[in-house]
Amino acid sequence: MKTTRRKFLSSSGAATAALGFPSIIPSSALGNADRPAPSNRIVMGGIGIGNMGRGDHGAFLGKNDVQYVAICDVRKGAMNQGKAKTDAKYGNKDCKAHDDYREILSRDDIDAVHIATPDHWHAQMIIEACRHGKDVFCQKPESLTLGEGSLMVETARRYGRVVSGGSQRVLQDYKGTVLRCWNGSYGKVKSINVNVGPMSKPCNLPPENVPGDMNWEMWLGPAPWAPYNSKRCSGSFSTSGNSWRSYIDYSGGGMTDWGAHHFGGATFAVDVRELQPKEVILDEKDGKKFVSLRYPNGMEITHNKPGVGQMHVGRDNEQREGKEVPKYAGSGGITGDFIDCVKTRNKPFRDIEFAINTMAVPHLATIAYKLNRSLKWDSAKQQFIDDAEADRLRDRARREPWQI
Amino acid sequence: MLDQALESLKTYEWGVEPKAVQSIQDAVVASHGDAAARKKLESTLAEVLGTDLPRAAKDTVCRALKTIGTAHSVPALAKLLHDEELSHMARHALEANDSPEAVKALVGAIDKAPKKIKIGIISSLGARGVGVPVAPLAKALSDKDADISTAGALALGAIGSADAVKALGSAKVTDTNKIAVCDAMLQCAENMLAHGKKSGAKAIYGTVLKIGPTEAAKIAADLGIKASA
Repeated sequence: MKTTRRKFLSSSGAATAALGFPSIIPSSALGNADRPAPSNRIVMGGIGIGNMGRGDHGAFLGKNDVQYVAICDVRKGAMNQGKAKTDAKYGNKDCKAHDDYREILSRDDIDAVHIATPDHWHAQMIIEACRHGKDVFCQKPESLTLGEGSLMVETARRYGRVVSGGSQRVLQDYKGTVLRCWNGSYGKVKSINVNVGPMSKPCNLPPENVPGDMNWEMWLGPAPWAPYNSKRCSGSFSTSGNSWRSYIDYSGGGMTDWGAHHFGGATFAVDVRELQPKEVILDEKDGKKFVSLRYPNGMEITHNKPGVGQMHVGRDNEQREGKEVPKYAGSGGITGDFIDCVKTRNKPFRDIEFAINTMAVPHLATIAYKLNRSLKWDSAKQQFIDDAEADRLRDRARREPWQI
Repeated sequence: MLDQALESLKTYEWGVEPKAVQSIQDAVVASHGDAAARKKLESTLAEVLGTDLPRAAKDTVCRALKTIGTAHSVPALAKLLHDEELSHMARHALEANDSPEAVKALVGAIDKAPKKIKIGIISSLGARGVGVPVAPLAKALSDKDADISTAGALALGAIGSADAVKALGSAKVTDTNKIAVCDAMLQCAENMLAHGKKSGAKAIYGTVLKIGPTEAAKIAADLGIKASA
C-alpha cells in the first residue's frame, strides 16, 4: 500500500517546484535595527550540535535573517557550549538548552530545525519535525536505509515542508565535471564512476562507563541497545573503527558518509537526481568486486570499478547543446539556499527527494555486495523485483519506543 | 567454519571481535538458493536461540534470522518478545519475516507486553503493513495511555486500509495523540488518492480539518484537498 503513495506525491501540487504554503513567522522573535524585521526572520533550533552540527550552528547563527533560539544535544558539554555561543552572539540568555529533541519540535515559536545527529536518528527526527510543521536542514547522509528514505520524502511532501539535505560538496567539489557534463562539452554522457568506501561493519566493542554528562539511551535512540563505548559514539570522521561512522547500526560507513558527497556529485553531474537505479549489477575484475547501477534512462553509475578514476565520466566528446547548471538560491551556500527556500517555499538545491534518490545508490550497492548478487529495483514500488530476501534488508525495526 | 562460529556464540560477550561469528553471516549468503542448507541453518539458529547465550550472541543470531527466517524460526523468536533485553532484536527478525506466523506471533504478544515493549510490537506490525489485522491496532488506538494510543494510530496510518480509516474515524482524539491520529488519517487519504479514490480521500481530509488539527495537519489537509479536486 505504502509504495504507491509516491505516485500521488509526485503528481500532487506538493511535489512541484514550489512547496505550497508560506511558513508562519512568529512575531515574537527579537532583534535590532540592523536586521530584517522579526516577521521576516526564520526562528531556528539545532539538534545534535557537536562536530558537523557545530559548523551548521555557526552558519545559521551568522545569518541576519535567522533568530536562533534553541539547542539540543545528548551531551551536556556540547549543549552548554551551543547555548553559550548563541547567547554571546545575541548578548542575552534567551537560547534554551534541551537534551530531548522532542521539546524543540513541540515549540510553536520555532519554524525550522537543523539536524546533525548520527545517521540512525535522521529519519525519526525529520519525520517528526515535518509532523510538527517544521522545515528541516539535515546533514548528510540523510538516510540509513532505503525504507526510511521514502517515508521521509512522503512526510515532507504531506506537510508541504522545505527539507534540505546537507551535502555542501555536491556543488563545491565537482564543479568542473558538472559543468562539462551540463554545458555539452562532454557530448553524450553515458556513465560516471565513484570510488568510495568502506561499508560499515558490525560493532561489538566492550562496555565502558557512561560519561556523567551523556544521555546514552537518547544517543542510541532507535538503534539496537549496546553498551557505551567512546569509539562507538565518537563523531570523528574515521570509518575504520574509531567512530559511529564505522558501524552498521549507525551508519553505512564511508560508502554512505563520503558516498553522500561523491554519489551526490555523480548523480548531479549526469543529471539523474530525479531517478533511482533500476538495476544493480555485481561484477568482478582483476579479483575485485564492483557494481554498476543502471538507470531507466540508460545512465550508469559504477562503484569502485577497477582501473577507472574517481568521477570519471564515460562520454563521446561530441559537443552537444548545453543546459544551465542549477545553483543555490539566496546567499551563503547550502545553508543560505535552505533559508531562502524556507521563505519562498521553493525546493532547495538538495531537496529531500534528490537526497534520498542519491542515497538509494549506496544503499542498493551495499545490499548487492552483502548478498553477493545482482539485484533489480522497482523504484515506484520501492521493492526489489523477485527478491524477497533483498526486500528484508530495505529497513530495520526501531528499538522501542521509537516509531515513525 | 560455521561450527566454529556457532561454538563461539557461547562466549560472545560484548568486546569479543565480531570476526568470531562472521561465518554465520557468510553461511546466510552462501546458502541462498539452497533450500536444504537454508532450512538446516535456520533450524540450528532457532535452536541456539533457546539456549543460554550472552546477549550479544543472541543479537547476532536474530540479525541472521532477519534475512533467512521463515515460519520455522517464529516460535523461538516469539519467546523473546517479552524479554526486555531481546524484544527489539526478536522484532528485528520477525518484522522482516514474511510468514503469517510472524504476524500471529507479534499480535499474540501485544496484550501481555509491558508498555514499552507493546509500543515496539505495535510499531513492527505497522511497519510490516501487509497481512496485519486492524483490530489489535484499533484496540491500541483506544488505549487510555497516550503513548500506546499514538503507537496504534501511527501503525494504522502505515497500514492505510479502509478498515484502518474506520478505526481512526472513531478514535477519541486528544491533545496527546492528535498529531499521530491526523498523520495516520492523512496517510490513509494518500493511499486512497493513489488508488484513484478522490472522493474518499477528500472526505478524510475533511475529517482531519474537523478534528481541530494542528497547524501542520491543517496545511497538509488543505494540500490534500487540492490534490483531491
